[in-house]
Amino acid sequence: MSENNLFSELLSAWEETYKKGQLTLWIFLSLKDGKKYVDEIRVFVEEQSNQTMTCEIQSLYRTLRKFQHLGVVDFETGEGNKGPERKYYFLTELGHKLLENFIERNISLFFNKRIKNLINKED
Amino acid sequence: MKALTKNLLYFMVFFTIGAIVFRYGLSSFLENRTYSLVWIIAVIYFFFNFFIGWYFGKRDYETLPLYDIGFRFHFATYLLFNTVSVLWFLFDFHSHFESIRVVYVTALFWGIFIIAHFVIYLITRRNAILGIEKSEIF
Repeated sequence: MSENNLFSELLSAWEETYKKGQLTLWIFLSLKDGKKYVDEIRVFVEEQSNQTMTCEIQSLYRTLRKFQHLGVVDFETGEGNKGPERKYYFLTELGHKLLENFIERNISLFFNKRIKNLINKED
Repeated sequence: MKALTKNLLYFMVFFTIGAIVFRYGLSSFLENRTYSLVWIIAVIYFFFNFFIGWYFGKRDYETLPLYDIGFRFHFATYLLFNTVSVLWFLFDFHSHFESIRVVYVTALFWGIFIIAHFVIYLITRRNAILGIEKSEIF
């Protein structure tokens, strides 16, 4: 295996594993941004992640149903654009608390000066 | 945990219809002594149940991945089949070659498996939050 092939295979394997748990964070962030219907969530996730995250509508619905069952997300129905009523999803109090704590424990540490310097440091 | 889901309800409706048709066929064929047809209806009944269990079970998991190792569907099957069977005898729809004792013995032995399944379900439930497997949530 050439070094280039090895590099790209390793990178995509790492990204695949990394992204698996990332979708939840992106969905939660999109709902922190405000109530959204499922296609708006998809657009937010894809745009804000610079297209590194992609999600299918059906899989988003499935994920949102799961979160709703767990009480971290809920929805209210609102008028659709010339079509049927839409479900506008939002974070519940538990969802907000969960996101806040997750960010504090797992994301904020990347903003630590030393870690930021390491990330920006060139080899 | 949300136990009675839409797909489980659909399954229960189809299963009950299947159980009634099966009971009717069984009693009629036994009464008419057409024993070879008893085998045929039993095999058809088996495949029918397999198909509806597979179809609605899959849809149920796709809608909401409740981690119950199939216990809800199994328990519904147990309750409905035995209820239909007992009522069949109570309403006197059975053939003269059938005995209610067979229904009770079946319910008893099947009941042992249901209890075992329930115990395993309770043990595995520790890996779930509100019925959803922890590793499946995020």
